[in-house]
Amino acid sequence: NGLRSLRPPRSRRPRRNLIKEGRKRDTGHRTAPLRLLLQATNSGDSTTSPPSSPPSPTTAMSRRGDWVYENNGGTCVAIAGADYCVVAADTRLSVGYNILTREHSKICELADKCVIASSGFQGDIKALQKNLAARELLYQHQHNKRMSCPAMAQLLSNTLYYKRFFPYYAFNVLGGLDSEGKGCVYSYDAVGSYERTGYSAQGSGSTLIMPVLDNQLKSPSPLLVPARDAVTPLSESEAVDLVKDVFASATERDIYTGDKVEIVVINKAGTRREYIELRKD
Amino acid sequence: MTKDGVVLAVEKRVTSPLLEPSSVEKIMEIDEHVGCAMSGLIADARTLVEHARVETQNHRFSYGEPMTVESTTQAICDLALRFGEGDEESMSRPFGVSLLIAGHDENGPSLYYTDPSGTFWQCNAKAIGSGSEGADSSLQDQYNKELTIAEAETIALSILKQVMEEKVTPNNVDIAKVSPSYHLYTPAEVEAVIARL
Repeated sequence: NGLRSLRPPRSRRPRRNLIKEGRKRDTGHRTAPLRLLLQATNSGDSTTSPPSSPPSPTTAMSRRGDWVYENNGGTCVAIAGADYCVVAADTRLSVGYNILTREHSKICELADKCVIASSGFQGDIKALQKNLAARELLYQHQHNKRMSCPAMAQLLSNTLYYKRFFPYYAFNVLGGLDSEGKGCVYSYDAVGSYERTGYSAQGSGSTLIMPVLDNQLKSPSPLLVPARDAVTPLSESEAVDLVKDVFASATERDIYTGDKVEIVVINKAGTRREYIELRKD
Repeated sequence: MTKDGVVLAVEKRVTSPLLEPSSVEKIMEIDEHVGCAMSGLIADARTLVEHARVETQNHRFSYGEPMTVESTTQAICDLALRFGEGDEESMSRPFGVSLLIAGHDENGPSLYYTDPSGTFWQCNAKAIGSGSEGADSSLQDQYNKELTIAEAETIALSILKQVMEEKVTPNNVDIAKVSPSYHLYTPAEVEAVIARL
């Protein structure tokens, strides 16, 4: 295939100085959910190392002396707009320095206005997404309506916390439209701590992507206290272009991200999907 | 039931002047947006209401949203069918109580009527209890879909007055409304409605 050039960087929009912006307001600090702590282990560890909170001696893993988790890599991103939501994930599945497949989807449509993308250990991710889809079907039968995105967000948090002492090794990002039709993104850590945000990135490339999103989406500064609604004022096509750019950039430096990016866009017309090729090395 | 909410009215049936009227509780709140009125074996009704309260709060915990009124009614009727929860606590007889469940959810205000068989019906207006046949036919004549809450209060109380043997006072009737959240009337508010009769 030869070398493919990077998409040209976005030089049209001015770079924002978030530190100066933050200083102008109250001296607040960005309340980092537990996910940032746990993400330390997720950033490109090829040898599967234990999560930062050591398991207690009575959990199954250490009793048998077996390591039951594996990190299959990958990156997920979601961006919420005024009336749309973009959820994207790469399609590479890897273990260690090997690629298992280039065509694996990390995205699951749970309800008509709710989509989840997860990165981490594929076994747990499959189980979790199946579990949620089944719960959504039960909810449909019991309550005669589909689950809304905020309801699914709460359900996911409870499902993850249920396994607090033997967690799902899954770093999730939930995106969709809320009951008013506004975009919403919820981002989680491995044990269910969650927060509604305007945009989020999880997975091996998240530390490369998140600063770019902070800079390029014209959302209110995340350093503000109290937190302001961070839905981006960009249009749907601008947001999708930005997603393509950040994935192309993350692919350059993160070995676990690449091959293809699957982009799902949800708006009031429905859901559409597109695939963009990324570097395969 | 009106466009803005639902009105429930009950006769307390205070059998003796020595009886403390505020201890007779025949309308209870299930959740912020659902209330229920009962007729029959009140002790059985308490069990059903407690179960409904637990179910609605479980729903809020799991899904971060209020439970729809129909689902709440369904949860109560499921219990009525089983005669109770589990092996130990289940009864050997049906729950001897009819309920009127009034609530407000994303589909607007709604009223459901349940009976010991575990069946429920959605109604625009309903009367239950000993004087219910006469009351039901009066409701049929007087109810229409364009009522306001104030008109509904007056109609409910005037029908109660027809079927009650004693005079209507703030001590022997209870009124509650769900519009859009549950509110049990204070004796002063009941007095105000009685004055309009």
